[in-house]
Amino acid sequence: MFETRRLRSRVFLQILLTILVVPFALPLVAMVRGSFAGSGWGNYRTVLSLPLLPGFFVNSALLAAAVIVIVLICTMTAAYGFSKLHVRGKEIYFWALLATLTLPEVVLLAPLFATVTKIGAYNTLWAVILPVAALQVPFTTLLARNFVDGISDQMLEAARVDGANAARTFWHILLPLTRPIMAAVVVLVFINAWNDFLLPLLFLQTPDRQTVTLVPSFFVGQYNNDQTKVLAAAVITGLPIVLAYICLQRFFERGLAAGALK
Amino acid sequence: MTTTTNEVGAPRVRSSVHRRERLRSPAGLPWILPAMLFSVGILYYCLLYTGYISTLDWDGASPLQVNVGAANYARMLKDHVFWGSLWHTAAFFVVTFTVQVALGITFACLLHSRLYLRTLYKVLIFIPVVLSTATTAPVFRQIFAPDGELNNFLRAVGLETLAHPWFANGTIALIIIMGVQIWQSTGVVSVLYFAAISHIEPDVIEAARIDGAGNMRIISSIVWPGVRGTTIAIAILTAIGSLKTFDIPFLITGGGPSYATEFFGTQIYRVSVSLSQVGYGAALSVVLLVLAISAAIVINAGGRRGGRADV
Repeated sequence: MFETRRLRSRVFLQILLTILVVPFALPLVAMVRGSFAGSGWGNYRTVLSLPLLPGFFVNSALLAAAVIVIVLICTMTAAYGFSKLHVRGKEIYFWALLATLTLPEVVLLAPLFATVTKIGAYNTLWAVILPVAALQVPFTTLLARNFVDGISDQMLEAARVDGANAARTFWHILLPLTRPIMAAVVVLVFINAWNDFLLPLLFLQTPDRQTVTLVPSFFVGQYNNDQTKVLAAAVITGLPIVLAYICLQRFFERGLAAGALK
Repeated sequence: MTTTTNEVGAPRVRSSVHRRERLRSPAGLPWILPAMLFSVGILYYCLLYTGYISTLDWDGASPLQVNVGAANYARMLKDHVFWGSLWHTAAFFVVTFTVQVALGITFACLLHSRLYLRTLYKVLIFIPVVLSTATTAPVFRQIFAPDGELNNFLRAVGLETLAHPWFANGTIALIIIMGVQIWQSTGVVSVLYFAAISHIEPDVIEAARIDGAGNMRIISSIVWPGVRGTTIAIAILTAIGSLKTFDIPFLITGGGPSYATEFFGTQIYRVSVSLSQVGYGAALSVVLLVLAISAAIVINAGGRRGGRADV
């Protein structure tokens, strides 16, 4: 992109990039350094020795897994229906779905709270799983439909001529072809479910039911002003998702790019 | 039966067209039903419910609900915290959008150039995107605390006079909130621009360079118009994101000092949960939703019109 053939411009651009990246790295450095202040690894030992800690991770994993399953089923069937099948008034349904993309989570607060307490789902993971999944489906359906639109009709028609019904076409032809977008959907939904804060804050009351995003607030309550323990807890909760990102970097970026290049 | 004998040609043609259509694509309604029932069902149910609650005086739990008509909306007009939220959201959108687009394009171009350690830089910019605000909020609270990193740094370099409790000043607190948002979402913007720039023909840039265009000229005349669609998408995402802002002010400043960093999200939470005025919270939610939908429509229409004028 930029001219890098002359050494001087190359050095200049390298320095510019470094200077611009430093502010992004500094808070991360401060976080890790702060977590070692005072008693060093002792902070981590205190946090990790808390018997409740694994529960937060299990709950977050359950939440993310359930949301991913629900979203994948709804997204892939809907993408197939919207893109390749005959539905009367298809675009009206699609727009009804897209309109919810603008929906802020906080708008759902009062009705969800009233409904959740009425049906006795308060302080259960379902109270978080269902709304989080419902909020993800519109965007992932948009992504997947754009991807499925790019698959040629002829391949699906060939399957039909050979006698496959819609379900078999979906399972044996469409799903294998849509693996890249499914990977992107899984990654996106995983980040959003794992990082969700407002709904767990509202609906999960006891620590044994809470998710990792509530760990730092939990430690603020437990250790009062001991910032080092809070930061150690923050590092521990952030580490899995950073490692997941570094290992699956390609999918993360592809998933995001797929959304923008429609 | 009788109609086909009455009108000779037309119905038969139509029915054969219809049959061929059916043959080509089987009924899709059962396939879109799960998504429609589940997602649209839950979300629209909640929306209608919010609309209903917004006409009530209700604490959210007691069976006592008093219908007050539009009183909650009338109250909003006189609520200076509401106007404050609106103003903070607007300022937040303008600042974060401008800075993110400038930084995003710069990073995307730099990461497309032949420089060292590009993957490392990309990962560093993107880590804030994947970390939840709940995880990173404690470190920001500490950095700007009275005895935090920033003040320690200022004292160490002899600028003691500049050191002060940053969160105590409303304007500075708002700027910090904007900064954290920029820190968190520049990674996404950069990746989007990075992908958009890969779709610009390298030949065009090469030709411009041969004609003597410098780096700045190439950005302004080739890259910027070339990524227009992405910029509009980012504008919509940022506008809706600004209206949705909740985690960052809630966890870092709690909306304070004295409502200086209050946004719709934090205000609705405070009104509905802490003050138990669910009716008023719902009215605020309805206004927020109307603003979000209007922002998406206006930016989309404006972007399209501008695009046509360019052509």
